Amino acid sequence: MPELGSAALLVTFGLSLYALGAGWAAAAQGKRRLAQSAQNALVAAFGTTLVASVVLLVALLRNDFSFTYVAKTTSRALPTPYTISAFWGGQEGSLLLWLLVLTGFAAFAVATKRRWERELVAWVTPVLGAICAFFAFLLVAVASPFATQVAPADGAGMTPSLQNPYMLAHPPTLYLGYVGLAIPFAFALAALLSGRTDERWLVATRRWTLFAWAALGVGQLLGAHWAYVEVGWGGYYAWDPVENAALMPWLAATAFLHSVMIQEKRGMLRIWNVLLVILAFSLSLFGTFLTRSGVVNSIHSFTQGAIGPWFLGFIVLVVAVSLALVFWRLPLLRSPTKLESVVSREAAFLYNNLLLLALCLTILWGVVYPLVSEALRGEAVVLGREYYDFFLRVFGLPLLLLMGIGPLVAWRRASLRSLVTTFRWPTLVALASGVILLALGAGSSIPGLVAYTFSAFVATTIVLEFVRGTRARKALGATSWPGAFASLVARNRRRYGGYVVHAAIVLLAIGIAGSSAFDSVAEARLAPGESMTIGAYTLTYRSLEERQTQNATEQRAVLDVQRGGRELGTLEAGKNAYTVEAQVSNEVGIRSDPLTGEDLFVIAEQIDPDGSVQFRVFVKPLVNLIWIAGGVFVLGSVIALWPDAREQRRLAARAYEIGVPAAR
Amino acid sequence: MARKASPARLVIALSVAAVLAVFLLYTSIAGGGNPSISPSELGGRTEKVHLAGLVVGPVRGDAHAGGLRFALKDIDGPATARVPVSYTGSVPDLFKVGRHIVVQGRLVDGVFVAEPGSMITKCPSKYAPAESDVRS
Repeated sequence: MPELGSAALLVTFGLSLYALGAGWAAAAQGKRRLAQSAQNALVAAFGTTLVASVVLLVALLRNDFSFTYVAKTTSRALPTPYTISAFWGGQEGSLLLWLLVLTGFAAFAVATKRRWERELVAWVTPVLGAICAFFAFLLVAVASPFATQVAPADGAGMTPSLQNPYMLAHPPTLYLGYVGLAIPFAFALAALLSGRTDERWLVATRRWTLFAWAALGVGQLLGAHWAYVEVGWGGYYAWDPVENAALMPWLAATAFLHSVMIQEKRGMLRIWNVLLVILAFSLSLFGTFLTRSGVVNSIHSFTQGAIGPWFLGFIVLVVAVSLALVFWRLPLLRSPTKLESVVSREAAFLYNNLLLLALCLTILWGVVYPLVSEALRGEAVVLGREYYDFFLRVFGLPLLLLMGIGPLVAWRRASLRSLVTTFRWPTLVALASGVILLALGAGSSIPGLVAYTFSAFVATTIVLEFVRGTRARKALGATSWPGAFASLVARNRRRYGGYVVHAAIVLLAIGIAGSSAFDSVAEARLAPGESMTIGAYTLTYRSLEERQTQNATEQRAVLDVQRGGRELGTLEAGKNAYTVEAQVSNEVGIRSDPLTGEDLFVIAEQIDPDGSVQFRVFVKPLVNLIWIAGGVFVLGSVIALWPDAREQRRLAARAYEIGVPAAR
Repeated sequence: MARKASPARLVIALSVAAVLAVFLLYTSIAGGGNPSISPSELGGRTEKVHLAGLVVGPVRGDAHAGGLRFALKDIDGPATARVPVSYTGSVPDLFKVGRHIVVQGRLVDGVFVAEPGSMITKCPSKYAPAESDVRS
């Protein structure tokens, strides 16, 4: 069996090289049949990668420890869902997943676009072939998941913190995002290579970008929730390099999604857009490199394998080749239109882009700073939480405000009077809520108060937009209000899906501000029967319970929870001792209040032999809005992604009038 | 070639300037981060640092009463310097003798006093067991 896997990967490598070589020759010389054959090679590469993946999956499920990979990531006692998740639990398997998703996306993109965008796809094929070839090469030569050994009696098992349902969803979702960015990148390079630098490549990949971006966003929220409920230190994001690794391409892709609209409508920012998509894809490679190389100290600190230098080399190659192409095509990328006023929608989008990019680059700087300072001063200096928090406030808060302003300002040039009419109500609501919150005591954190006020502003603009639009639809003859609302959203999915996503970001901002700026913490060592208080809560430690499960011994401290004299039931917090892996993990107790979105978060830090327990308790206001934001985010993304034949035709039609500014 | 100056350039230039200004502001206020060093590099330095090393037993005491006591040595290399550490606060699940950890704090009278709750464990790998675990 391992031979079949290795052989399949070798064939994938060959097919990818063929797609690169033959695709290049075909595109350069305009040979249609050869181009077709190169595209078919990409589709076939997906097939062979699928074969390799099935081999690995079967080996995992059969506990075939003669596969080194299976032996080091699973054990017999591991429940089946986690055995499946071991596929992406180690370096070799996750690279295979990368390749599987990449070849799958490549095959799908080429197959669906080649009828409409033949000249572009001819050049997309060799670019994707090159990326596939790199990953296939890594899997064949450097980190093979099909290495074999003399089978041990049992495997080493999976790290306890990974034995969690999130392990099934979080890594694959992130990978869909990371890899998805390869498609717009390939189309951008194809546009440069073919000289078709108009809006066509953007229109062709709009959905891909949106999909990859949404997957990255959802993947990160899943990771944050995982950290929150499972890792058990009381937070959801720690600015760890590996977490930042996913945030950076997401920020770059967010900037790209916005600047794309300016190019579509006004033909501006062509160079910028190409650079952004190059940045987003390079950061997605860099993110994979960070998680897989161990070059930066991280709590995640994955295997330090031999793939690091290869990855770094590939990233340098990708950046160098892309920039060289941009430089070569610079004359073609000159934009036919100019920014007319600094108060216009395109200007607002530009500010949004600059802020997103500034945030992205400061995070990047923070991630690589230990390496830079080590090289320059001989001593690695680590930038802590304060660094990131500072820049999140400096760049994130204006960004939040712009989210309310940008979509409502007129294109080209906005008059002062229109601005006053548009923003009168949102400003009043924001000021009013600011004053009310100040009276309620939110002044304890100025950034938190500012975040709330800006959130109120943006939320009002979004509600007003929906109200205005629905009214207009009703006036145009919709029979009912819900009907008017539905047709409003259905007729302009991208715009109203965007508003829904903005609403999700507002919820996220409120949740983050509430849980980080206005939280409280208490610690106490309690013997059974003793109590502690935090805020309005009183916790009474009842008893310590112990139970045995398939792969762990679980200890749980049972607490009675009261608030303001009312019984709220019991809460359990404790530790699991995993037998095979010889490791302990914290299992926190969380009580969510469905009305206020507040969490009571209990960690049993230390369980002493005499039965007394050291507790650490947090009260986190509004933290549940973050998870609700995740649901709203998905809803908005799906609305914006939903196939819309009419809009697609409109966009395509516009793309062919090269550079003609839309009159809107 | 006389190109009319576009406001976009002005905007970008101003933004770059603003970013740099904010950056300078930050570094002047917060003074950057702390050095991350290994036990053998600590010597007699008493400023605030991140100390990264391998946990050496015996581990004594109580992190929530009086402080957990252990020593740290270099993760690799020939240096044999051991730094005694006193730590209070949350102890991560993965903490034990032989693990890589990072603590933040400063040297006080020959003992590295870590800030409460500053310990981070660096399991050699999160997603796979340590190489030594597999081979042995």
